[in-house]
Parts: sequence; C-alpha cells; structure tokens
Amino acid sequence: MRAERDREIEGSRDRVPEWTDPKPARVTFDQWLDLFDRVPDDLIERYHYYGNGEAWSKYLFPPQMFAIYGMRHLRRLKFDNSLAALRMWGFVQNETERLFRARQTGRRVIATLGDLGAVPVIVNSFPGCVAFYPDCIWWTPFAMESRVLFDAAAELGIGDATCFSRAALGAFAKHSYFPDPDLVIASTGASCDDYSGVEQLVESFAPDMLWVEEPMRCDARPTGPLQQLLVREYERVVERMETLTGHAISDDELRQGVHKANRVRKLVARLRELAFRDAALAALEMMVIEFGNLHYYSDMDEWTAVLEHLLATAEGRAARGERVLSEDALRVVWVTPPADPLLLTYVEDAGARVVGTEYVINQALEVMDESKPPLEAIAESFMAASLIGTSRARAQSAIDQARTYGAEGVIISGIFGGSHCAMEGRLIADYVKADLDLPVLEFDVTSPSREVARQVGTRIDAFLEVLRSRRGLPRLSPAENRGCTHPESRR
Amino acid sequence: MKELLTPRERFGLLVIDEAQDRVPVFPLVTAHAARVAGIPLRDYYTDGAAMARSQLVAQESYGTDFISFFSEVGLLAEALGSQYDYPDDDLPLLRRPKWGDLTALDDAVVDPGRDGRLRVYIDAIDYAYEARGDTVPILAYVPAPFTTAQQLVDQEAFLLGLLTEPERVQDLLAYATRSITRFCRAIIGAGGLPILVDPLASGSVISAEHYREFALPSEAEVIRFLHRYDLDVVLHICGDTRATIGMMPESGAELLSVDRIDIPEAVAGAGRRCRIIGNYDTSAILLSDAATVEREVAAMVAAGRECPMGFVAATGCEVPVETPPENVRAFVRAAKQTGFNSDFGRGTATAFRRGKPWLYPLPERRIP
Repeated sequence: MRAERDREIEGSRDRVPEWTDPKPARVTFDQWLDLFDRVPDDLIERYHYYGNGEAWSKYLFPPQMFAIYGMRHLRRLKFDNSLAALRMWGFVQNETERLFRARQTGRRVIATLGDLGAVPVIVNSFPGCVAFYPDCIWWTPFAMESRVLFDAAAELGIGDATCFSRAALGAFAKHSYFPDPDLVIASTGASCDDYSGVEQLVESFAPDMLWVEEPMRCDARPTGPLQQLLVREYERVVERMETLTGHAISDDELRQGVHKANRVRKLVARLRELAFRDAALAALEMMVIEFGNLHYYSDMDEWTAVLEHLLATAEGRAARGERVLSEDALRVVWVTPPADPLLLTYVEDAGARVVGTEYVINQALEVMDESKPPLEAIAESFMAASLIGTSRARAQSAIDQARTYGAEGVIISGIFGGSHCAMEGRLIADYVKADLDLPVLEFDVTSPSREVARQVGTRIDAFLEVLRSRRGLPRLSPAENRGCTHPESRR
Repeated sequence: MKELLTPRERFGLLVIDEAQDRVPVFPLVTAHAARVAGIPLRDYYTDGAAMARSQLVAQESYGTDFISFFSEVGLLAEALGSQYDYPDDDLPLLRRPKWGDLTALDDAVVDPGRDGRLRVYIDAIDYAYEARGDTVPILAYVPAPFTTAQQLVDQEAFLLGLLTEPERVQDLLAYATRSITRFCRAIIGAGGLPILVDPLASGSVISAEHYREFALPSEAEVIRFLHRYDLDVVLHICGDTRATIGMMPESGAELLSVDRIDIPEAVAGAGRRCRIIGNYDTSAILLSDAATVEREVAAMVAAGRECPMGFVAATGCEVPVETPPENVRAFVRAAKQTGFNSDFGRGTATAFRRGKPWLYPLPERRIP
C-alpha cells in the first residue's frame, strides 16, 4: 500500500510552479503581506477553482483579503511562509464564494451533515455535484471573532450549552454562508449528540432532506451486519442522488470517486508523516489539511492539486533538512480539534509542536479498499470512525502516534457542550497516562475571542513547563514563554 | 425589527452576485458622524480614536450598512507636502498646494505611519475593525490620483496643464498613484476596504475627453493594484457623470457610486457591468423635511432595484455635516422598506424572523 501511495505521489511533483520559497518559517499576518508583494501576477492568474479560467475563480490571495471580509482572527495567527501554504489558505478561505459560484454555474450543491467524510465520496461521484459540510462552519465564529452565528442558533433554540457546531444552524438560517442546498443528507448514529440536535432543526430549513443511519458506538470495529446496514444506507443516498440529478450512476463512476478520494487520503497521510516526523509543516496548516479529507473544500480536483503542491514543498524541506519548527520543540499529540485555531499558534509559539492528532475524523483518513465494490469500500472505511470505536480506541490512536513520534505529552482540547467530549476526555487522559506515563493537559476551548483565554493560556504554559522540566531543561522566563499571539505584540 | 443579515453578510452577497435580504443602505455619513457622536470636527480628522468612535456611534444610531472613513480629498496631498489649515469646527482647508505649477516633481512616496494625517485613518480603521469588523464592512475613502493631483498643484495651473502640458500632468498622476497605492496597502493591512474617490474628475470639472485621457487610466492603475488582493472596488465620482458613466466601468471598479445622474440613466450606462451606488441629493437631505426625504428615497430605491448587478441605496455625495438626524433616519427607513426582498431565502427566512420555526409544521419526514 505504501509503495502504491508513493508512486501516485511521485507523479505530482513536476506540477509545482516556478517560485522560490523563503527559508521555512511561521510568519505573522503582516509579514504575509510583505511576502505577497513578491508574488508575480502570473502566479495569481494561474490558480483557479472549478477548472475555470474566469477572473472570479482565482483564489491566490493573502490573508488580508479575507480579513477585510471579516475573518479577524487571521490577524493573530502565524502561517507557513511557502507559496503552497498561501495557495492553501486562499483556496480554503474562498469556500463560501466557491459554493455560491457552484450554484451560479449550474452545479448541484449538496449539504452533507454529521458523518464527516463518507457521503461526499458518493456525492462527488455524480457529475456536476458538489458536497460540503456545514459542520465545518463551526470554525467561522472563531475565525471572525464573532457570536453572530451562535446568536442565530440561539434564537432557534440551540444555546451556549451546546457544541460550537451549532453555528451550522445559524448559517442555514441566514442563507448567506452557502447557497440553499439542493439536498441535505444528514447522518446520525455514531456522531455527536449535540450535532444530531442541530441536524433536526436544520430540517426546517431544508427543502429536501435525507437521513442516513450510522452504526452506534461499538466495542470493536464493526463488520458484517452493521457494515451491511451502512451499505444499504449508502444505496439510499445513491438513489436519492439519481432522482435529484436524473443521472443513473455507474459502478465505474463510483469507483472513480473512491479512487479520487483515496488519492487525497494518501497525500494527506504522507503530509502527516512529514509534518509529525520532520516538522515540514506546522500544526495550523496540518489541521486545515486533515479536514480537507472531509469534503475537499468543495472542489476535489483543485484541492488535490493544492495538496500536491504542499507535498512537494514538504518533501523538499525534508530532503534539505529544513524545518518550520525547531528540532528542539516539545513534542505533543493533540486530541480533538481545537475550534479556536489560535490555540495551535499559541502552543507552537510557546515552544512545542504537534506530532500526532486524533481529530475525531479517523474515518476520513483511512484509505478505502478499491478492490471491493465502491459502497462496501466506503462503508468499510467508515467503520474506522472515531465515534464508532470506543474511547479506548481513540486513546490508542493517540498512544500509537505518541510512541511513533516520541511525544512528550498529550493535549486534549474539549468542546464545551460537546457530548462525547464531556464523556471521554478524562477516559482518554487516563488511558494515555496508564500506557505511556505522559503528562496530559485537558481543557475546554472557550468562546470566540481575540486572544487565548488567560486561564487556558496559563494552563498550557504550565503544562509545557512540566514537559520542559521532564527533559531537564531550564524554566523559560515569562518573556520567552510568550509568542506573538497577544494583541499588543501583534504589530 | 431585527434583521436577518448583518451588514457584512449582506455586502458579501452583493459582491458575489447573490440576492440580499434587502438593498444595502449607505448614506455617505462621513464628517457628519462627528455631529452624531458629539465630537468636535477638528478632533474627528486629527484623532483616529475620535474618528472611529464617531463612525461607530453613527452606524449604530442610524443602522446603516457600512462604516466609512473620510474627511476631505486633500489627505494624500497633505501627506506629500501641501499645506492645510485645521479650523476648529470645519474640515481642513487647502492653504497652499505643494507646487504652484507643473514644473518640478520630487521622488517622495508617503509613509502611512508618519506622513500627514494618514495615521489618523489607519488608527481609525484599526479601532473600528476591532470593535465591529465582524458585522460591518469598514470602508476608507482614498482620493484618486486625478483629485490628489489638483491638491498638489495650483488647481488652475493643473487644469490648464491638461491642455498645454499633458505629459507633465501624466507624470504628476503617476507620482500621486505611487503614494495612493502605498496608502491603500496600509488600509488593507488594517482591515479596511479602500474606496477610490475622484470628485474632481466629474463632468462638473472636466470634459469626458479629459476624463478618458487622464483620470480614467490613473483610476484604473489604482484599481489594478487593489485587484491583486481580490478586493471589490468602489469608485465614487460625485457631481455630474452623465457623459462618463459609460466609461467608468473601464476603470475596473465593481461598484460605481454616482451623484448627479438619474438612476435609470446610470443603470443603463453601467448597470450590466457594475453595481450602482446612489444617489440621493445631498442638498435635499440637508434641507427637506423627513417626509419628503422618505418619499423621494423610496422612489430612488425602486428605480435602483432594476440594476441587474445590484444596487446600494446611498446619497450622491457626503451627507452634509449639519444634516438633521431625522432626515438621515428617514433615508434609512425608506431605503430598508422599499429595498426589502421578500423572496430572500426561498421563504424559509420568514420562520427565522419570527424566531420560533418549530411552531410551524415541519416538512413531512421521509422515512424509508
């Protein structure tokens, strides 16, 4: 499998444009503006989404453009300084516009909710269809440092005691974060309970909604009847998509869909290796990359090209022995994705780096078996879902990565109100401590803000101090222990 | 009534060619904001925090869809060396332009952090962006090269130069453009969206031929710079633009803010290529009673909604400093009512505005 993956990756390397990246580093928002001044016009003109040559489909733009349109948090983050990373950020930030353009250019837009990774493989196999996850809107309140979407959700009955993913409900209500979907496919079962509640309220905004049942949480990876149940559910998805599009999909088209999704998963697997082992990319970019496996940011072909570009950059850095973070950085595994991306910048500024992740999307990372019928292959890989397995299984994933990359600690960032977080954060921490005797920091991410909450920041600082002392390193002074994440030090 | 969208969400839809819940409302409240906030005018244009506070108070008080920073068109010229007086309760007045004629240029380029009052603008943008940047677009007017040039050189000498020394005029425009783009870059870094304002390029000042030869290319140069960042650019030319409306889209601007031209004529001239922003008479908003303003704005918005690319209900130029607040409120009220889009969100938005969608029958569940 690894050899096959490497062969596929190899074929992409000559597609990187002529451009010389500066020495790898994480740079501030302001520094990115300086770097963007060096980007020649022909590179800006080169990249388009949906394979479209029109001016509106360009996306190679600096974070400043997105900040002007409300993404205030970008001013506090640190970014990888490569052209590939700039391209990635431009592409990802552009997704709202891209979805509206999809509709304007005659594509069908399908909202997929809850399962985080499987249904879009089917949807994207249909010609002219684009799948997206409203779930991922959960980052928007943090990116904008805004309560607007939470307030909209609260007016509909989902308040602050619920997972941040309630922002998706606010987005549905507002009709301005994505076009009203042609179809909503909502999965329920082994997903966050809170989000199931959100999905139920979404139904009042969906002209057409299909519910998909997933297996419940199991002790061991399910096979047999449970897997067959999922296959039948996916057959219903196919039927509904055929009715919607009027297109009878062939087995070959579905196989091709699986193949293309696998291509993305293999690229991401290799990027994870390079980031975790060689520090070729930092945690912020890697979180964006991993979550691309869910729905490819609404343009699978272009996202694949973006990943190829990133991989060429990362491979080049690894080959030259260049790192974006210090070799001496403290190594941590991160469990559950932080809704506030500033936490990743904060931890890296404080002298650590992320060498493993369990972001509750294991189902989107596993490569599907292309020798099997497509729906079976999709269902089988979905059985690796983080929320189908036990808390022990999630912990084991963190433990395995910690062992592989020599992690010195584990950070679990909980989601206040997220049902599974409340239940299993402590369990995962106990398993990690028992198996590896590693320090574990567990905290809840606080509401959107321009800075990391003081209490959380202090706990992170203290935790990293513990890791440092276990290495026998001297304590850092307060000045050394502060990155540029504090507003006053931003400029 | 609580509105469905924030101003930023509304503007976001406009610039990607999507229908909005209603027409965005943008009376050009600039220095008038200081009156609304009770802040002395001189403080408004010399202190970034005062400018920001004025705009924040005005935006909240009137319920407009933008915050827009502007004091006067000499901003760049002053930073380059022209001299201005600062009256206690009036806007800056040009005392002496940098040059008396077109004979000499230097190689100066502004430093937005240091020169003139550019820092005031940057501070104001930064302040407002932190305060309300998630919900309201923050705009900053930037005088265009042609207008700035007339603040750098004696205006009579400049206008004469259009006929007698066109090469020197072009050199001066290029000189101004370098500083203008530098300033735009600083605005972008602070979170503001630059609006290019070129009042001295209107048909009230120059001919259409001179607009095409001098003003338009320099506007286009700045807009090309802004397009590198994928920004949606507003070009504002107040005064008479009847002779140039067909040319203005060639600047590359996505939105045209116009003044003394009938809305149907503006829509016919540029409405298939640009969104139109306009254009209630600023004398009328100053001098009329609220009922008249309300009636006339409603008629304007009804006409503007015919623009295929979209419309923003605005005044033709700045709301005069002494405008009665009730007239601005009448403007906003009429524009929102007439500009309301009952089809937005395919009707599902109605349930949201009532706040309790679960009281209404849910769609029939599709159980397999």
